[in-house]
Amino acid sequence: MMKNAFSIARKEFTDTITSKRLWLIAGIFLLFSIASTYSTSFGFMIGGQQAVRPMVQIASTIASTMAYMAPLLGIALAFDAISGERERGTLRILLSRPIYREDVINGKIISALAVIGLTIAVSSLASVSVSILLHKVAVTLDDVARICIFIVFSIVLSFAYYAFSLFISTFSNKSSHSLIISMGVWIFFAFILSIISSFVTIAVLGSPPTRAIAVFNRTRRGFGNFTSPGVPASELEEYLSYMRKAAEISSIIQAFSINYHYTQITDSLFGFATGPLGFGQRERTIASIPTVLSTRLIDIIVLIVFPIVFLVASYMVFTKRQEK
Amino acid sequence: MSLAIETEKLVKIYGNGKSMVKALNSIDMKVPKASVFGLFGPNGSGKTTLISILVGLLLPTSGSARVLGFDAAKHSVEIRRRVGLLPEGFGFYDHMTALENLTFLATLDGIPSDQRRKRALEALETVGLKDRADAKVSTFSRGMRQRLGVAQALLKDPELLIFDEPTVGIDPEGAAEFRNLVRRMNREGKTILLSTHLLYEVGMICTHAAIIREGRLLVQGSVDELCHSVRKEKGFRYEIRVKPGSEIPLQEIRSMPSVVEITQSDNRVTILSKNDIGSSLFSLITKSPYKDLVESLTPVEPSWEEIYRFYQEGG
Ligand SMILES: Nc1ncnc2c1ncn2[C@@H]1O[C@H](COP(=O)(O)OP(=O)(O)O)[C@@H](O)[C@H]1O
Ligand SMILES: [Mg+2]
Repeated sequence: MMKNAFSIARKEFTDTITSKRLWLIAGIFLLFSIASTYSTSFGFMIGGQQAVRPMVQIASTIASTMAYMAPLLGIALAFDAISGERERGTLRILLSRPIYREDVINGKIISALAVIGLTIAVSSLASVSVSILLHKVAVTLDDVARICIFIVFSIVLSFAYYAFSLFISTFSNKSSHSLIISMGVWIFFAFILSIISSFVTIAVLGSPPTRAIAVFNRTRRGFGNFTSPGVPASELEEYLSYMRKAAEISSIIQAFSINYHYTQITDSLFGFATGPLGFGQRERTIASIPTVLSTRLIDIIVLIVFPIVFLVASYMVFTKRQEK
Repeated sequence: MSLAIETEKLVKIYGNGKSMVKALNSIDMKVPKASVFGLFGPNGSGKTTLISILVGLLLPTSGSARVLGFDAAKHSVEIRRRVGLLPEGFGFYDHMTALENLTFLATLDGIPSDQRRKRALEALETVGLKDRADAKVSTFSRGMRQRLGVAQALLKDPELLIFDEPTVGIDPEGAAEFRNLVRRMNREGKTILLSTHLLYEVGMICTHAAIIREGRLLVQGSVDELCHSVRKEKGFRYEIRVKPGSEIPLQEIRSMPSVVEITQSDNRVTILSKNDIGSSLFSLITKSPYKDLVESLTPVEPSWEEIYRFYQEGG
């Protein structure tokens, strides 16, 4: 029974691994992620930012590129997975064999898991290793553990987009439609939702008080030190309460975005404070791995449940569908 | 007569409400084993729908189909294990070679790994593509793709072959080769069901046929039976050939009670009769004084076009 799924998976895997599409995405990721570490390392050099843990900061930079590339990889592998076979008529040839429709979709999923796992693991490790060599930073065992966890959740994020795009592909007769829908959803989650969130924040809370902004700008100079001399405590409190409410609204709206949950995890992992302060200030101390995992449990659950839901949906749509 | 395919009151309805299409309307089709069965009908008459139900790609709305003894709705994998199908609108993996495509499909057909390559090469040889085995399918012409389509149906050496519009897109030579292939397969005892709207291309190789229109089978049976019914309705036609430059008197034939029309051209006399007068014509001629002038007397079979038109116009 699974034998046929593995036969299909093997062919699919060979096809994908040798495809231009995959190498293009992996290449762009490597290029951008390594290039972006230069600005981080430049930050270390001019000493404007305190390099609490250089490796963690570099990994954090790589993670921000990954946040864009992982979804694109998932979409690239899935958007024509079923609809492409349908368009080219190869699905008909496959389905006229003594196999089940389940075998076809299982084969696709098995292959995608392998390709996504391999691509993300290899390209992340490559990017991290090159950056270590380029910037000559020290690496601790804890850094390595964080990078491994980052790789696992990046695979999950990529697979979430794979599952969603596969779902669209199962009932789509045209790969171009499936690509447009998948990309549209990605753009919505990655860019539009945060814009909407700002609009809603301003609509609900009104513009931030000008005085508060001035306060914020002054406090920023004394990084991490919110009791800068000359700033009245009441104004500081006004600013902080505005920011706290804004962050709350944003987290409610962005809860719909799978990208947001991923970023929450990687930000905690690599030491961004995203709590009431907002604005991505780097924390002075980085939470331990168990703390990160437990405080981000909801994000982790959402990130894992999302692909499962769409896999099940794809499975149901595809296996129930009749086509001549 | 044992049957390779038997359907009972097969109904298929697509969609629902206003967009509902009744593609099959109570089809009872019987395909005898070892026959070459033609399923003839215009585009949109339900041929592909019927074939798809037979191999379990579609489920019937009601009614049932048995193929090689298996219920099409329940045991379609068993059917597909034994049936080679050339689907309509199929395609291959363009980036792979013909041989790679076939060995991959042979894997899914359950052919043991040590035999896949051999079987694939045999199938390619059968359709005349062996010398292009290692060429990418992207370099293939329409006709070559069609032949490769036939080859993939042959991989599992099936006892029943179903071809949906097999001659679409191929040249007359290709069609002739296809007919030879079907004859050869049939001689090996295989049953062949082929659907087409181009009946002049394959009509002549069929031993049995059904004519379908708007989801209904208008008629089915052996080619002899179909011809006979047409003759009974439209009249029996005979042709007498006489020696070049000679003529025979026609009064006697004209006076036969069922003769409707006699036409003459050069050394050919064509007689249209309401009834089967073959044997009386024969004895009349052999007893006549001009029998030496007659070279041959043959009944004229109705052409496929005639049969088709006859049934399409309501039998
Ligand atoms: N997926 C579908 N949805 C709705 N109607 C369909 C579908 N497939 C076929 N039909 C309709 O069913 C009828 C039979 O189609 P088909 O079996 O493809 O005919 P043929 O193969 O003889 O050309 C046609 O009227 C066609 O429009
Ligand atoms: Mg058709």
